[in-house]
Amino acid sequence: MIRALLFSILALPAAAQEADFSAGSTAKSWNMPAEVPALFEAKVVDLLCEVAGDCPADCGAGRRQLALLRTADNTLVYPMKNAQPVFAGNVVELLPYCGKAVEVDGLLLDDPDIGARNVYLLQRIRETGAQDWVNADRWTKDWAAANPEAAGKGPWFRRDPRVNALIAQDGYFGLGLETDEAAIKELFE
Amino acid sequence: MRQHRILAAFAAGLAVVCGPVFAATDGERISIKGEFIDTWCYFSGVMGGTDAVVGSAHHTCAMWCSAGGIPVGLLAEDGQVYMVMKIEGDDANAGGDTLLSLASDTVTADGLLYQRDGLNYIVVEKVVSNDGIANLNHVDYGVVPGFVIPEPKP
Repeated sequence: MIRALLFSILALPAAAQEADFSAGSTAKSWNMPAEVPALFEAKVVDLLCEVAGDCPADCGAGRRQLALLRTADNTLVYPMKNAQPVFAGNVVELLPYCGKAVEVDGLLLDDPDIGARNVYLLQRIRETGAQDWVNADRWTKDWAAANPEAAGKGPWFRRDPRVNALIAQDGYFGLGLETDEAAIKELFE
Repeated sequence: MRQHRILAAFAAGLAVVCGPVFAATDGERISIKGEFIDTWCYFSGVMGGTDAVVGSAHHTCAMWCSAGGIPVGLLAEDGQVYMVMKIEGDDANAGGDTLLSLASDTVTADGLLYQRDGLNYIVVEKVVSNDGIANLNHVDYGVVPGFVIPEPKP
């Protein structure tokens, strides 16, 4: 009995990573080499709190990364990307659910050769028991509301004041404007 | 779903038996030399191979991702990636100014290491030294992705 329990404990991490959560998923492919559709139940947690025990009352109020503690196997899944193909993460999508039980649908990445384990692209979410799914695509609206002075045409990342200030200071390669100018000249000649 | 329920029941039972395995733990003190990278592009391959989505070639994209709240990691010299949870007391690891300003820099950092479900996590207590952008891979790769720099108007 004890031997069986010890074996089960030792085998759990491998079993969790090999578990198949694709049943029922309608996640769209991003044509990534290591992607697997994954629909599962989880609790939304403050990552720093869950991993290191550093726990503010408000889940970080949007400052901190949030994560998914998967119900089926207690695996901590890191949802790095939302559903928008525009360099946007997941905190805006997950913060309303922090501390709550949810269902999520998206793409799991598993590429141990480069260190990617339990990494997730979130496409839709709903609180457990809710009927309707919510698409994980709110980030750009949130950014626009927070940056009214940057309103205009084109994607947010071309208009972001913080990034544009750094590009103006250090160039696109971050090596200074002289290096930048020479590199750009070479690129486009 | 039956398989999930069985796994859930097993995990719940296991949590009773060995709860501390899954609880937050004390970190292990470490010192790492590495580059602050955009982990999504590195892990996903959406912008190219791992050699191309780091360094000066990928600097602007790394800033876009950091500003967009995508997790920042430290890519150590041995190829291990450490997900940054906090840096010098600043817990704004989702789009915060500190990590944005350090995009692509190679640093030596002291901190606390945590490992959970296959990923390395680090609380950076101190950036001991900063070499700036030391990986000048734009010489080999140009700019990654290629649309980062608008073509100059004639």
